[in-house]
Formats: sequence, C-alpha cells, structure tokens
Amino acid sequence: MKMTEKTVTIFVLITTALWVIITVLGWKGQHMAGMYLGLVMMLLYMILGVSKQGVVSKKLLFYPLISWGLVWAISFFLADFYALKYAGVMPDFTIMGFHPSFAPIIFLYWIGGMLTLTLGFVVLKDEWMSEEDWDNFKVKIEGLKEEEKRRVTNG
Amino acid sequence: MDNTTRTLIIAFSFAMIVASFLIGWWAKKKATTTQAYFGSTGMFGPFAVGLSSTAAVASAFALVGVPGIMYTAGNAMAFWMLSSGAFAMAYLILGKRVRAMAEIGEVASLGDISDLRFNNNRVIKAMTSITLLLGCIAYLAAQIKAGSELFGHLIGWDPLLAGFAIFGVLTIYMAVSGEVGGLLTQAFQGLVMVVAGVVIVISFYRITGGFGAVLKVTAEAGSVTANGITKDLSPDIMNAWGAMPKVAAMTYMIIPILGTIGQPQVLSRMYALKDPKDMPTLGIYTAISHTVVGFLTLAISGGALYLVGTGKIGPLETGDRAIYAFADYAGLVTQLFVYAAVLAAAMSSASLFLSVSSNIIVRDLPNALGIKFSDKTQLRYAKVSMVVVGIASIFFSITQGEAVAILGTFGWGTLMSATFPVFILGLLWKGASEKGVMLGSIVALVLNIASFAGMKWPGALPWYFNVISISMLVTVVVSLLAKDEKLDKKVEAVINL
Repeated sequence: MKMTEKTVTIFVLITTALWVIITVLGWKGQHMAGMYLGLVMMLLYMILGVSKQGVVSKKLLFYPLISWGLVWAISFFLADFYALKYAGVMPDFTIMGFHPSFAPIIFLYWIGGMLTLTLGFVVLKDEWMSEEDWDNFKVKIEGLKEEEKRRVTNG
Repeated sequence: MDNTTRTLIIAFSFAMIVASFLIGWWAKKKATTTQAYFGSTGMFGPFAVGLSSTAAVASAFALVGVPGIMYTAGNAMAFWMLSSGAFAMAYLILGKRVRAMAEIGEVASLGDISDLRFNNNRVIKAMTSITLLLGCIAYLAAQIKAGSELFGHLIGWDPLLAGFAIFGVLTIYMAVSGEVGGLLTQAFQGLVMVVAGVVIVISFYRITGGFGAVLKVTAEAGSVTANGITKDLSPDIMNAWGAMPKVAAMTYMIIPILGTIGQPQVLSRMYALKDPKDMPTLGIYTAISHTVVGFLTLAISGGALYLVGTGKIGPLETGDRAIYAFADYAGLVTQLFVYAAVLAAAMSSASLFLSVSSNIIVRDLPNALGIKFSDKTQLRYAKVSMVVVGIASIFFSITQGEAVAILGTFGWGTLMSATFPVFILGLLWKGASEKGVMLGSIVALVLNIASFAGMKWPGALPWYFNVISISMLVTVVVSLLAKDEKLDKKVEAVINL
C-alpha cells in the first residue's frame, strides 16, 4: 500500500479527528463507540508507523495489524453482549472460570492481542525494517553528514 | 503479623535494596560519557531493556492501586494492566524512528530528539521539558510516598526515615551511575516483580481453586459486613465493565495502551537498545514480563474478593489493602515476594523519573534557555542535581501528603500530552511544523496546569484525555496553516525509514 505525503496527512487528520470524537463520546458516556473508534485510531497509527520508504507491507497490514483489530473488535462485542445478557445475575456458564463478559477481554483482548502483535512483529520483522534497510539508512546518514561537513568547509 | 515474619520480610526487602545498590555502583564504570550517563544510548540488549521497561512502567500504582480499584469497583480497571501488547504497538509505531534519531545526532535525552527534529526550537524543548518534569516529579513523589509509608509502617520507623533508607540509597546509586545504573537496576527489579508474579499466581490458585470459584463467591455472597465495614459483592463486579461508569473501561483501554508510546520510560528505552533490529525481540521480553505482572494484579484482586466473600478475612478498609491482605493470608513466601515486588515497583519507577527529572533540569531546560554546559560540567551538575532532586522529593513526598495525592493523578496522562505532539506527530508526519508543535506544546502545558489548579471538564473522562485531544488538534491545525519551509534531510530519512 502506497503512503504518499497526502495519504499520511489524511491519516494524521483522521487520527486527530478521532481523538476529538472519542473525547466527545466519552463526555456522552458512549463507551462502546469510543472503544471501537479507539481501535481504529491505534490501527491507523500503526499503519503510519510500519510504513517504509512510503510503502506499507501488505503482509504486515493483514497480519498482525488488521488481524489484531479484528481480534479486539470481537472481544469488545462479546464483552458487551454478555455483560448485558447477564446483568445482575450469575452467568450460567464460564470460560475457564471467567465471567463470559470478561473472558473475551482476557483471552482475545489481552492474550490474543498481545500474541498477535508481538509474534506478528517478530515473524515479519524484515517487513518492518530489515538489516539491509538499517544499513542503507546508516550509509545515507553518513553521506548526508559528509555533505554537510563539505558545505561548512567550503563556506 | 508476628515478629519473625516481619523480620524476614524486612530482611528480604533490604537484601533487594542492597542488591540494587551493588548493581548501580558496579554500573558507574560504564557511565563515562554524557550519552551513557543521561541516556544509556545504544548500550543494552533486549533482555535488560525489556525488563527495565516493564519495571519502570509498572509502578507502585500498578501493583497496589490497580488491584485495589478492581477490588472496590470491578474489572474496568483491569484494562490498565491488560495492556501487554502495548509495547509491541509502541515499537511498531515509533521504535525504529526514535532509535534512528540517535544515528543522526547526539541523543541522550528526549529533549535532544526534539532538538534534532525541530531545528533546535527552544520553545518546543522548554514546553515539553516543563510538562515532562511535572509528570515525572508527580510520579516520583507518588512512588516515594508509597514505598516509604509501607516500610515505615512495617518496620515501625517514621516514614521520613524509611524514605531516606530506601530512596536515599536509590539516589546515591542513580547519582553515581545515571541511566546506566538506572536501567540495570530496573531490569533486576523487573525480574523480582516477575518472580513475585509467579509466586502470587500460584498462591492464588492454591487458595481459591481458580477464577471460577472467585466468580461464584462474588456473585453469590451479597453484602459482607465485619468490623463495621460492609462490602457489597455482585456478579456485575466480575463482568468486563465492572461497577464504574462504563466510560472508565474506554478510558482505561485507550490511555494505557496508546499512552505507553508516550511514556519517557518507553521512549528512552527505544534508544537505549544497542541494535535496533532487536526491537521485535524486545517486544517479546516486555510482553512476557508485563503479562506476568498483569496476571499478578488479577490474582490479587480476585484473591481478595474471594477471601472477603468467603468470610476468611473481613472487608478491607480501603482497596489499597487488597495486596497486603491477600499476602498476609497466603503466608510467608507470598508475603516475602509481595513486599519485595511493591518495593521493586516503587524503586524502578522512582529511579527512572529521578533520572529524567535530573536530565531535564541539568541538560534540557538550560539548553532551551540558551545555556550550554560542557560534557564534563553536565556530568558534575547532573550528579548534584540527582542528589538534590532525590532528597527534596523524599521530604516533599512524606511531608506534603495531600499535595502528593493530587499530584498522583498527574503522571501518565501528563506525560502523554507532553510527548504526543513532539514524538508521535513529529516522527510520523513530515508536515508537523515547528509552529504547530510549539503551539500544541504550549496548550498542553497551560491546560495541564489549569486542570491541576481545578479547571473542570465536561463528562466523566479524566482531564488529561481532554488535554491530549486539544493539544493534538492544535498541533495539526496550526501545522497545516503554518508549514515549515524545509525539513532536514537526515530527519526526512528517519521518517522515511
């Protein structure tokens, strides 16, 4: 996926608008909408973060980023669904001992989200930044520093 | 608690303080340059950096406050500690760029990155430094207060004396070895917290039989009264949102996860990593260690609810007693590790914030005011500053209890509001202009101070949520209206990396 300067600016505008919208949703007590939009905001920041020379790796985009977003969205939905279903009563089933509303937060949001992002990052680390990318960057910086030195020396 | 138990807990905890001191003292031979002393820049591998990051993020509030609030008001607060994926997220978003900034110029502090990115803009550096300083001092004072009062009570010493015994030692090793000693001692303290986490989780399962029993007891016990204190238990405490306003869950989902990127203890560790290609491995170490600490908080709150619900202990006077009540019931081994873990949490966060504060006072703020010291002078002043800030914080924390409690609300969100415009926008977006970030930083500082002074915001969100949103909005709008003429080519290479 290409990330031109314009696309990056649009992403920045959307994330900033999301900060404001989520804040207003917080004032209004709309926690579910705020959580879903918070997820979108984090996803957009991660897309900006993983872009490399103006390109986002499709592999990274689908796994771990979008996969992580789906895992979290499902966890929020299930958490709210079972919180409403069993409001004020003892649930008639548990998942490994956890309340059916809290279990998605434990297994999908916490463990699932952490494993998806952390392992995806390790598996696809070269898509994020390979050894060659880093070496090229260092060479480029050395070149720019040399150029600066020459400019200063030449007045 | 009998005298033998008390003596063993004190001995075990002081052994940890002595070990920290020895590590810190040993580290001084590595802290020979300003970059090493102030930033540990490019010095350590992922294991040490990972444990240090977890330890510095998991403060005394994480171990004592979070399970306490979960005991009092249910699971919404759990989101704060179920944020173990936040490190990988932070590294994915900013990791390579923060580390890469250390290749284009001298980076020993967050202020140095601000300088490199925004053309040595003094206003940005000053505003960011002051806001960071406020957040750091708030955190530092809260850690000292928590550690000193706990051990003062345990030993029977005046909290001020206990504060000097614990945090005075910390101040000495931080003064001699700076961030090098800070990072290594935090790694050791992180390890203590992880081992304590395993011990506590085993105790939890041994006592309760698991979360199913906790849910059953909490759902069916109703109201429990003893010693004039009543605890109302209900099944809703155990669902995902707990008994707080539901918007609390939203706040405690977004702020700790996204906020991790904006914490100095995470940002500064990105450039402490020797090889930036180790960042994914760093993500694994932080995730594992943080997950264990997260499980610890679930076990403590669940354990305390179970013990109260079954009548094995009376309802707690305050939620903050949950961790100690559980440990005291669980027996000596758990007690030894719980007290050591709380101390480790307080010390690791305190050392980080002492170091950042001193760094700002000696290096970033004078620099923003146009005063430059030689490297040798900086190192000399930094050692003095570390001692002065350390001693002043111990006095302030113990003698100004109410102010510290107010300041305690200042930490995490304040630090986010200081760093988001400069680092998130500055390192992800070439369009983040000097004027935009300058105004965003000014707005963040002014609104933080106004909120601290009592300014009211609509709704039930913590005030810093509003401050972050407004400062981000101001930064972006002004950046679009007042663009920079050109971007340094080296900075451009970092953003493109």
